[in-house]
Amino acid sequence: MKLSVDETFYKYGDRIFRAAFTVCRNRDDADDVVQDTLIRYYSLNKDFESEAHLKAWLLRVAINRAKDLAASFWRKQTAAWEDYMEELAFETPEDSRLLDAVLRLPEKYRTVIHLFYYEDYSVSEIAKILRRAEGTVKSQLNRGRLLLKTMLQEEWNDDE
Amino acid sequence: MTNSERYQRACSVLHASESCLMEVKAMNSKAKRYMPRLVAVCAAVVLLLALASVAYATDLGGIQRRIQIWINGDQTDAVLDIQGGRNAEYAVSDEQGNILFGGGGVVINEFGRERPLTEDEIIEHLENIQKVEVEYREDGTVWVSYRVSKTESIYIVTDDITELFDENGVCYVQLDTDDGPLYLTVKYQAGFATSPHRFVDPDSFGTE
Repeated sequence: MKLSVDETFYKYGDRIFRAAFTVCRNRDDADDVVQDTLIRYYSLNKDFESEAHLKAWLLRVAINRAKDLAASFWRKQTAAWEDYMEELAFETPEDSRLLDAVLRLPEKYRTVIHLFYYEDYSVSEIAKILRRAEGTVKSQLNRGRLLLKTMLQEEWNDDE
Repeated sequence: MTNSERYQRACSVLHASESCLMEVKAMNSKAKRYMPRLVAVCAAVVLLLALASVAYATDLGGIQRRIQIWINGDQTDAVLDIQGGRNAEYAVSDEQGNILFGGGGVVINEFGRERPLTEDEIIEHLENIQKVEVEYREDGTVWVSYRVSKTESIYIVTDDITELFDENGVCYVQLDTDDGPLYLTVKYQAGFATSPHRFVDPDSFGTE
């Protein structure tokens, strides 16, 4: 299966942006990741067996690209995600605090938290996407949750 | 509402720019080489500080100040020597002249240029790091102590963080101080870093 440019953007553009922003914490870089990921998709002569397969591939490419950008020299000099957060129209202040808390986590924890809580992936699916051991993902998820509980206290439930 | 539902709602305000779509279409149709957009670089200051063992040379000139620091939970008189130079090396000694610790640092501006830390910036940094101590006890446990207030009612909170280290020997702890949260990153036996803004990347500090 191969989707058109518009189909891919409208179906997955925001998802790619959200995953990328979670990693690189920079709006411009996250937009570059969306662009780069879509271009890579179109330049790749690859058949995806299902939409789930495609989505997982897009997210993996986006997360890896966002990591590269986050590690680049210029990116290290920018720290504007807090400013960007102020521009966003969150439904409630709790939503803003939640996203803010996730973005303050170490990168490996926030990526796992995002894939688990936003994309609803299981630990084993996350392990495949990130190419990490399941045990590692599970432990990173637990540590991330623990930190979120510390930061957000009663605003973070104990549900899993 | 579950954590998932709340997090999904929180993320729903994040959207990819439509300009991405336009650029991908343009690239597809014209087969032009992709050029990433320039990132607007905002004014940001990055402090690179090394708290590893310090190679400190005396008699090179510089600034010397008497300061008070926190060692093992006690406020103690000490001497701060700032040597200046490219990395603004400094050392803190006790009153007998024994070097307690030291480091150095630069500020990198938005254009990537470096300058040494000023005396005030070093002192501010020392105030921040002095809020926290990490102790490796003989029984193998690791404890963090931190000051909760700078006022007269100073008290020290001590927590066992032994179980919080991950498989890479790194531990992340949020410390609640009167000045707001302080994010602590500890590399096992290889230093720690704090920031009032976020967890410091463990690859950016410490000794191996």
